[in-house]
Amino acid sequence: MSVTVKKTIPVVIVAVVAFIVMMDYFLLTPPVDVAGKSWTSTTVTNLQNWGVILTAFALGFGAVNLFYFHSKHISRRTPGQWMYSLWLLIVIVIFTGIGVFTGPTSDQYSWLYNASYFALSATVYSSLGFYMTSGLYRALRFKNVESGIFLVVGFIVLARNAPAFAVYFPVLRVWGSFISDVLTTSAQRGIMIGGALGAISLGIRTMTGRETGFLGKLTEEERGGGIE
Amino acid sequence: MSGQGKSIWDKLENIPREVLYGILLVVFVIPMIYPLGLPVPISANVRKWYQTIEDLPPGSVVMIDFGYSGGGEPELGPMAVAVYRHLFTKGDIKVICMSTSIEGTQLWDKAMAEIRPEQRFGAQYGVDYIHIGYIAGTEVAMAAIGKDLRATTSTDYKGNSLDQYPIMDGIVDAHSFDLLICYTTGGDQSEGWVRQWYTVYGSPYMCSVLAMMVPTMLPYQNAGQIISVTSGAQAGEMEGLVGFPARGIKSADVITLTHLLCLVYVAIGNIAYLGKRFSGGGK
Repeated sequence: MSVTVKKTIPVVIVAVVAFIVMMDYFLLTPPVDVAGKSWTSTTVTNLQNWGVILTAFALGFGAVNLFYFHSKHISRRTPGQWMYSLWLLIVIVIFTGIGVFTGPTSDQYSWLYNASYFALSATVYSSLGFYMTSGLYRALRFKNVESGIFLVVGFIVLARNAPAFAVYFPVLRVWGSFISDVLTTSAQRGIMIGGALGAISLGIRTMTGRETGFLGKLTEEERGGGIE
Repeated sequence: MSGQGKSIWDKLENIPREVLYGILLVVFVIPMIYPLGLPVPISANVRKWYQTIEDLPPGSVVMIDFGYSGGGEPELGPMAVAVYRHLFTKGDIKVICMSTSIEGTQLWDKAMAEIRPEQRFGAQYGVDYIHIGYIAGTEVAMAAIGKDLRATTSTDYKGNSLDQYPIMDGIVDAHSFDLLICYTTGGDQSEGWVRQWYTVYGSPYMCSVLAMMVPTMLPYQNAGQIISVTSGAQAGEMEGLVGFPARGIKSADVITLTHLLCLVYVAIGNIAYLGKRFSGGGK
């Protein structure tokens, strides 16, 4: 496939779409209709709806891909894997079958969801509490100055987050607020601003064809390496 | 024997995890079975959240995003239920719900089964509240709904046309809503609403997230982009304010006792570590 088809056309599409979306955000481009909407507004509405449809399609496509991937494990009888793959496919078929034939809001589907997936996912997430408790006991130790600061801050935040403690020791609220509103917020802001600057840079690189990760595997020449 | 020759500090420093887990389980189960009724202070953020809803004028329309997954339900579910009860208690608020999480519709059904809007509050589906379903795409979905709700979805979560519901009269875009609330287990959703609704339309926004996510959301609150950030673990406080004690109050006892146990574990671990060090056993 030529570089034009593999790289140039997709990059131009991305750049044009991104430009229209940004234009709609920053400018009111004429002509404006009676509802006060410009042509970019209507175009962006359509683009966003395409995005919603494509994401929904990707979910279905993911299920098909899952079938393809795990069917191979079953047919090859991959040791230690194929029975889990089989079980996964059986569960997908059961959920899909009941969802399609009785509807995703039916009592049958809700029962299946609540009795299996919901209970399991809540259990797995809740079990983290045990690991964290064990981790606290083993890791939060006064080994040097840095770990000492970590220990003191952790101790205060733990105590502050226990509802009844804050009643008996009101000072914990003051210390906890200082830690969350001043120390944590300032550090978090730095991370967020850094991330935002990175996102802007990535956007510009993508729109100008310098970032080609979203195009999949490209040769050095297709990436533009041969041009330099 | 494996324990021979080990000092008391060694043993204290290496308590088997089975013992740690066992004690935690006991401390967890007891207040669930026999609630202790420990005091629950109302934090400033929960009070601000409650007051924001109290101050909504009659006829206000609220958008709620059920953006959490099944794993987060035990934490966020009680908060969602308490806030819904508050909204229904006011009686003159229209509540439109959507889900940016694929499990959101199931979890909304679960919450409604607990709230029982028709029986307890006289609220009617399609008149006082509605669920417009799961909208795929997370931030794209938020942007699309904010720009033109009807162009994005034309049915509720049961597949019925939105035109048949009186609650949807006059609902066009983000400007149609007086308040936005999001319950979520994901940063994409909680931060996404700031980017797609607050920044673009200035929509008043509150979110309830997992306790561990609160520090990442506080900068938005301190910058005035979010009215109030709460964690699902504060559901007991909300239930106290709303006057419907339920799962959240029970959890508050558990949270206090398990946190106390964690502090005891940390203290034991450090006493053992320092004891070993000063007795010449450490490095």
